[in-house]
Amino acid sequence: MTPTGTGQSISPRSAKRRRRAKGGVATAMAVAILAVIVGVALLAPVLAPYDPYEVDLSAALQPPGSAHLLGTDMQGRDLLSRIMYGTRLTLLTSLTALVSGSVVGALLGLAAVFFPSSDAVIGRLLDILLSFPAILFGLALGASLGPGLLPVTIALSIATVPEVGRIARAAGLTIARQEYMQSGRAIGLGKTTLFFKYLAWNCMPTIFVFLTLRFGFIILLGAGLNFLGLGAAPPAAELGVLAAEGRNVLAFAPHVATYPSLTIFLLVLSLNVLGDVLRDKLDKRLL
Amino acid sequence: MTLPLLAVDALAVTHHGADGSSVEIIGDVSFSIGAGETLGLVGESGSGKSLTALALMDLLGPNLAATGTILLRDRSLGSLRPRERRRLCGSELAMVFQDPMTALNPVYTVGDQIAEVLLTHRLASRRPARDRAVELLGQVGIPHPSQRVDAYPHQLSGGMRQRVVIAIALAGDPSVLIADEPTTALDVTIQAQILDLLRELSAQRGMGTMLISHDLGAIAEVATQVMVLYAGRVVEHAPVDRLFAEAQHPYTIGLLSSLPKLGGREQRLSTIAGRVPLPGTVRTGCRFADRCPWALTRCRLEAPALTEIASGHRVACLRAPLLAPPSPGMAA
Repeated sequence: MTPTGTGQSISPRSAKRRRRAKGGVATAMAVAILAVIVGVALLAPVLAPYDPYEVDLSAALQPPGSAHLLGTDMQGRDLLSRIMYGTRLTLLTSLTALVSGSVVGALLGLAAVFFPSSDAVIGRLLDILLSFPAILFGLALGASLGPGLLPVTIALSIATVPEVGRIARAAGLTIARQEYMQSGRAIGLGKTTLFFKYLAWNCMPTIFVFLTLRFGFIILLGAGLNFLGLGAAPPAAELGVLAAEGRNVLAFAPHVATYPSLTIFLLVLSLNVLGDVLRDKLDKRLL
Repeated sequence: MTLPLLAVDALAVTHHGADGSSVEIIGDVSFSIGAGETLGLVGESGSGKSLTALALMDLLGPNLAATGTILLRDRSLGSLRPRERRRLCGSELAMVFQDPMTALNPVYTVGDQIAEVLLTHRLASRRPARDRAVELLGQVGIPHPSQRVDAYPHQLSGGMRQRVVIAIALAGDPSVLIADEPTTALDVTIQAQILDLLRELSAQRGMGTMLISHDLGAIAEVATQVMVLYAGRVVEHAPVDRLFAEAQHPYTIGLLSSLPKLGGREQRLSTIAGRVPLPGTVRTGCRFADRCPWALTRCRLEAPALTEIASGHRVACLRAPLLAPPSPGMAA
C-alpha cells in the first residue's frame, strides 16, 4: 500500500470515535423516547386532554384531527388520553412483574451457587419453570382466577424467574471462582455479608443488563396476554387491550389499533437498544 | 523456649471422593512459628503448599478434610466450632492471597474493605474504622493514603493492590500471617518491595509469618526457617542459613541447583527430571525415589521418616546425612 496522503488512512482511534458517536446517537434517541413515554405516562392525569373513559358516541371513530390529536375509538373516547393511561398501566404491570420475578430469580440463582448442595434442586426447579411457556401460565391463571391484571402480572413474574435465575447462576459461578470470595471468607466475614456484598453485588451488572433487555420482552408479553383478553378487560385502558379493540375496525379506522401498537413498538425498541448499549459497556469493562 | 504463636502437628488433608474413596493429599506436616519468625514453605506446584495454608484458614473446599492439631497460641483450632473459628480468621490468623488482581472485591473501595474487617471483628465502629484504614494504608507504604482510601481496586496498580491486600490482612492485628505466593503475580522490583514490607511488618509487630513461595530467592531473603514440601510430605526442614548451605535431601539439592547463578558459566539450567507424583499414586517407599539420582532399592520399599540430623534440621531421606553431595547436574 502506498501512502496517498490526506484522508486515506483511518486511524484506529478515529474509527473507534466514529463507532462511539454512532452508538451515542442510538443511545440518545432510545433514552429520549423512553423518557418521553415514561414521562407522559407518569403525568397522564395532568397531560391527558380528555377523560380516557368518557364516552361520546357522536364523535366515534374520528380520524386524527385538531379536536382529538390521535382521533377517537368506537365509543368516541379520545385515543391519545387512552394511550397515555394505557402506557401507565402497561408499565406498572410489567415493572411489578419484572422486579418481583427478578428478585426471586436472582436469589434462587445465587443461592444455587452459594450453597452448592441446593444447586441440583434449584436447577431442576428453574428448568421446570422454563419449560412452561409464559402464555400457558397466563391462560391457566386467567382461567382459574378470572381475567384481570393480577393474573397477568403473576404470569409475567413467573416467566421472569427462571430466565433471571439462570443468568444469576451463570454470573454467580464466575464470581464464586474469584479469589476475593475466598479472601472474604479468610477475613472472617459472615455468610450474609459474603452473599450480598461479595457475590450478589458483583453479579448485579450482568443481571441488570439482562433485565433491561428482558423488560421489553415482558412488556410485549403482557400486551399480548391483554390483547388475548386474559388481563385487563375493556373498558380498561391498557396498550394491549387498546390494540385488541382497534382490531375490529382496522379496515376503516386503522388509527385505533396503530397508535397503541406503535407505542408498544417504540417502548420495546428503545429498551432493547438501551440494553444492547449497556451490555457493550459492560463487556468493555470486563475485557 | 517461649510458646510458639502457631504450632502445627501432624496436619493431614484427605480428599474424600463421592465414590467413598479417600486419598491423603498432604500428610504429617508439623512445624511451629514463633514471634517475629518467618517460615518459608517451598515446593513445586502440586506439592501441597497452598493446601496447607487453606487447611490452617479452614478454607478447604468440599470433599477435603483436615486432621491433626493446630495450636494458635494456646487454642486448638480443631476443637473450635465453625463460628468461633471464623471469628479467629481475619483477626488472629490472616492470609494474603496470591493474585492481588482478583483478591479484592471490585465493587467496594479499598477503605470499605479494610473497615469491613474491623467492623466484622468489632475492633472499631464506623468512623474510627475509616481512620484506621487510612493509617493501615500508610503503614503498608501507599502514598496519599487519605485519598487512596476511597479508591476502587481497579484504580490501583498491581503492587498497590497487593499492599492493600496486606493492609486488609493486618487490619485485625493478626498474630500469624499466612502469605500464599504474595509476589508471584508482581514484577520483580515490586516483588522486592513487597518482601521488604512483609519482613518489616513481621519484625515490627512481632508477628509470625508463613511465606509460601516457589521462589527460593524470596525465601532466602525473608524466611528464618524453611520447610520443603514434596508430594504432600515434608522432606526437609531447617533454619534458612543451614538449608541453603547444607541441604541434605536430594530434592532440596535439586531445587537449589536449578537456580540460575549470577555469573555462572552453564549454558542450561539444571532441572529435576520428571514431575511430582499424583496424590495416592505412591504406596510404598520414598515419594521422590523415581526422580532421585541417589535412589537405592531400599528407597522404593521403605518410606523414610523425618529425622532430626542436627539441631532444628530435619530430613526425610534414608541416605541422609549425605556426606558428600555429588556435583550438581542431577538431571540426565
